[in-house]
Amino acid sequence: MNLTSALARLLIFPGLLFAVPIAWFFLWTERKAVAVMQERVGPPFMQPFFDFIKLMGKRVPERSGIGGRLMKALPLIALASSAGAVGLLPVLPASGGFTGDLILLIALLEVPSMCLIAAGFSSRSIFGEIGSSREAILSVAYNVVFLLAIVSIAAAQHSFRLETLAQLPASPMRWLGVLAIFVCLPAKLHLNPFSVANAEQEIYAGPLTEYAGHELALWNLAHGLEWVAATGLVATLVTPRVGIWWLSIVLFAVIAFAVVLLLSVVATWTARLNIDSAVRFYWRCALVFIVLALSSTLFLRLHS
Amino acid sequence: MKMLTMLLQNLRRGSLTVRFPARPAVSEDYRGLVCFDATRCSGCSMCAFRCTSRAITFRNSKTDYKWSYEPGQCTYCGACVEGCQSNALTMEQACPPVYLAPGALKTSYTIQRNPPAPKPAAPLPAQGANSAAGDAA
Amino acid sequence: MCYSRRHSPWLFHMNSGSCNGCDIELVASLTPLYDAEQLGVCLQGSPRHADILCITGPVTRNSVEAIKTVYGQVCGPKAVVALGSCPASTNVFIDSRVLEGPLNKHIPVDVFVPGCPPRPDAILQGVAKAVEILAERRTNKAANGEELA
Repeated sequence: MNLTSALARLLIFPGLLFAVPIAWFFLWTERKAVAVMQERVGPPFMQPFFDFIKLMGKRVPERSGIGGRLMKALPLIALASSAGAVGLLPVLPASGGFTGDLILLIALLEVPSMCLIAAGFSSRSIFGEIGSSREAILSVAYNVVFLLAIVSIAAAQHSFRLETLAQLPASPMRWLGVLAIFVCLPAKLHLNPFSVANAEQEIYAGPLTEYAGHELALWNLAHGLEWVAATGLVATLVTPRVGIWWLSIVLFAVIAFAVVLLLSVVATWTARLNIDSAVRFYWRCALVFIVLALSSTLFLRLHS
Repeated sequence: MKMLTMLLQNLRRGSLTVRFPARPAVSEDYRGLVCFDATRCSGCSMCAFRCTSRAITFRNSKTDYKWSYEPGQCTYCGACVEGCQSNALTMEQACPPVYLAPGALKTSYTIQRNPPAPKPAAPLPAQGANSAAGDAA
Repeated sequence: MCYSRRHSPWLFHMNSGSCNGCDIELVASLTPLYDAEQLGVCLQGSPRHADILCITGPVTRNSVEAIKTVYGQVCGPKAVVALGSCPASTNVFIDSRVLEGPLNKHIPVDVFVPGCPPRPDAILQGVAKAVEILAERRTNKAANGEELA
């Protein structure tokens, strides 16, 4: 893996240039699916693109001091890490480029949440502080389940490499892990029922209250790329490997799209849980998952 | 689960939305802008008296009166229409239009008063008075 | 850019002492029959995120400072829509001693939507008008055309 192929992977495919339209497409799909299920007509197709361009054209409030510099830098960090997370996905089988590591992907997926929390606190607005503390609590809760799921999948297949994992045939442990990851996705992507961090009726806009203009555009773009990376992770773990290379790309895309639709259905179906219920849900989920994982491992070990 | 079946039903039924710029119809007795018919107005100023928000103003003078109406001040209650004895006021059955400057929709009418009837030139004929006096006696 | 601004109006709703009738109708414009989202309208949680400020209510004395602060917090090219008869002219509260007069005494208003309360489709028309006005504005100018620093 050399520098040019790494840069190509980061910036062109499946990196920024390719992933940004896909991110906008996924954002539109979620809004349109929610609208159609609510018997409305949703936004037109290019809506996230229009929102982005419009936000780039707005004036940004002046910021001062260390907090101000931090506020300016944080959306860039979030965008860079979610673009990196997308770049790590092994869309093409055996393509070289980044030797994708699952732990690196998880770390890069965590950075936007951390940036969001830091942004809320550094904006010195009360709404930002409340939103960030809720996001931090929720992050602790769902990360337990998320990391447990990842570790169990990797341990079951004896490898942390994404490409190896993608190519090995699935096992029951992997399906269990994928289910656990799917349960964590609404919290990661700020969807109902775990959208307590950006609860508009309660805390105005949560951590991003003081952001405007191009900074807000970058935050929304980072959020879109998080969608792509998270659904891409699930698709990587689920897609069966077929010999023909373009068919596996198509399958990857279809499964990622199906995950987006499923998440939209869950978002429309449920109401927002408050922070206590959300944390309790995730701790119970962790308990259930641990019991199931341990018992299935023992079962398989006893059988073989 | 009921929610899920509701979502699936919604998916099947399609959208209920009225696409912009079409608008859904207003109901039968919708109270919109007040329309003034100058030919029927008798100048009693009952509408200005009953108006809850002083949207209708009435300025009187010897020879004419000025009736004006400011839709931006109006609360569309219909009290003026109910109070008008000569049916000069009706309410339009449509939404009032959007405007860009304050007072843009104000309408006013200046209506000439009818000149007063001329005094009778001659006194009443004397015959009628004598015969009435003759009958009474 | 003008095209994008025309297709992505983000609203922030503020109540300056209204009876809530106009607020209810504004939120009703997000329901399936009227669906503001077909125009790209999104009701935002923070004034900094929004382009169009929708204000209801006759401006009470307690809310004048709040209105001016929020107007200052809306960034970039912005437009103001006065919903209902109250911000246009204080409506039935004309003799009240706690009101500070119609809204355009304090901030520049672009579109007035008459009605008490205005129907949601009238609100959407008002928003569409405001969006057209907004799309023509340049980023560096204040709402009444003077240059900002």
